[in-house]
Amino acid sequence: MSIQVENIRKSFGAFTALHDISLDVPTNQLVGLLGPSGSGKTTLLRIIAGLERADSGRVRFNNEDVTHLDARRRRVGFVFQQYALFRHLTVADNIAFGLRLLPRAERPSRGDIRDRVRDLLSLVQLDNLARRYPAQLSGGQKQRVALARALALKPEVLLLDEPFGALDAKVRKDLRRWLRRLHEQISVTSIFVTHDQEEAMEVSDKVVVMSQGRVEQMGSPLQVYEQPASRFVFDFLGHINSLEGLYDGHNWRSGDAFLRLDTHGACPDGALTLYLRPHEADLAAAPTEAAHLPVRVAGRSVFGGTVTVELEPQGWGGEVLEVELDRVRWDALDPERHPALYLLPRRLQTVTCDGDLGPQVAPA
Amino acid sequence: MPRYWHQWALIAAAFAAVILMLVLPLALILQQAFAQGVAPVLEALSSSDMGHAIRLTLVVAAITVPVNLLFGILLAWCVTHYEFRGRKLLTTLIDIPFAMSPVVAGLCYLVVYGSQSLLGQWLSDWNVQLMFALPGMVMVTIFVSCPYVARVLIPLMQSQGQDEEEAAVLMGASGWQVFWYVTLPKIRWALLYGVVLTNARAVGEFGAVSVVSGLIRGETLTLPLLIQMLHEDYNTVGAFTAAGLLAAMALITLLLKTVLEWRQRV
Repeated sequence: MSIQVENIRKSFGAFTALHDISLDVPTNQLVGLLGPSGSGKTTLLRIIAGLERADSGRVRFNNEDVTHLDARRRRVGFVFQQYALFRHLTVADNIAFGLRLLPRAERPSRGDIRDRVRDLLSLVQLDNLARRYPAQLSGGQKQRVALARALALKPEVLLLDEPFGALDAKVRKDLRRWLRRLHEQISVTSIFVTHDQEEAMEVSDKVVVMSQGRVEQMGSPLQVYEQPASRFVFDFLGHINSLEGLYDGHNWRSGDAFLRLDTHGACPDGALTLYLRPHEADLAAAPTEAAHLPVRVAGRSVFGGTVTVELEPQGWGGEVLEVELDRVRWDALDPERHPALYLLPRRLQTVTCDGDLGPQVAPA
Repeated sequence: MPRYWHQWALIAAAFAAVILMLVLPLALILQQAFAQGVAPVLEALSSSDMGHAIRLTLVVAAITVPVNLLFGILLAWCVTHYEFRGRKLLTTLIDIPFAMSPVVAGLCYLVVYGSQSLLGQWLSDWNVQLMFALPGMVMVTIFVSCPYVARVLIPLMQSQGQDEEEAAVLMGASGWQVFWYVTLPKIRWALLYGVVLTNARAVGEFGAVSVVSGLIRGETLTLPLLIQMLHEDYNTVGAFTAAGLLAAMALITLLLKTVLEWRQRV
């Protein structure tokens, strides 16, 4: 079932949570709503579910208007951040809850309900926990029970509100891969809310980046990362280093440092900020003709095959920079003996003085 | 575990205070009641005044508790499920019966519904007598004990949030099904706790009931009022027997409350 959101607006008192949001989610896609807290992503999810009413705009499922349809008749599966399991019911009874409430004509027989619960439990890999109470489960198990419960009525729309928000890092990683695989097994259109960039990138077919009640960009994970539509999107997707300086049409300068940049006239002379992603730079013992950015190593942390290096600019700029290098490359630099190094950016994102994104450039 | 002598001393002082001020008086009540043996106690228990007082007390409690149960649930539901103007004011107003002296409450009812008032006049024209009769006693008892259920439920319902209710709605539950299958099981122990407290207050209420009852022997005397009456008559055995009965009810209540508090934590 496809989901269309058209011109949704919502305010709470004087605070506008959503300004004119429109989205289109094709059938069986998994879409991640990504944004910082307060960006309106949960409100949007709740409006799609019918738990919240929009001030204006429409929600359609398969082009059928459900804007005024009661939440209990929308037949969406919903997974809450804090699971919202019924604490007085066992895992099996939690999952069977919706089935037992069906009107007599639609309600499966007792045996069928039991079979359906068993199938769902095996789908979420919790076959042995049917008789447990929610209080006896771990966070990850609760989350899977919540998912099984949401799927019990075979919804065509599945909505998940920060589904992994309350779990620790390791469990979170396992669960989101598992969700991705599960989504490929069953046919359901899903929207999930997250503030975790990695999670959105890994799980979603499409990412919707939101900020202050507006959609900043919608696209595949690769698209929003490689071609961010706004400064906010660039900023929000991973760590960035911000280099402030002056541009004269050929060179960017800041103190002793310079970069030779050809922007093909896209950047006017004057103040020019450059964004540098930590993994899009190298270090060398000597500067090049195009890049002269002296730095000193201020600290490093090794994790797996990657070394994260903190660099203090020498004679330019201000704040400490962060660069990620391959471990082999780092060892070859031998920074113990050569602490004075030069930063060599491979790709930079230009930001004009009025805050718009300019072209992406490389020193040459 | 306490480690220093002064910590032990503090604990000892607390125990001494509890024994002196709570346990001893209770024991004395029983001792006084049975001072002349079991026979006078049994006789006092079988007197018609005592029987009537016990029945009246139970009738008042039997009406008060369900009324306040319903009222408390509705109020707590309103305050925790809806945002509306005056919500804070309402939660403050709930506490009036706690803050006000019960005697004052009784007098208020007397002024509003008594035969001196316009409303009382009008009611008496229709042959309805509220004051100095069972209806008035029930009304003031409801008034003084109405905050308990709501007071127990509101913080609990606030802390539990509405996620489970919303989850139930999304699975197709109607309002009534949500209340019956989700909300009620969530609050059941707290609710019982509120009922126990309400009942204790309804059974033991003296001040407000005393004002509106008119103290008519054999008609409007509940157990607490009877105790006062017997005591004034120098009927020591009778007074202490009734007192022992009330104390026993209180102890049972206390036991129930402890059990419920323990269940609630599980």
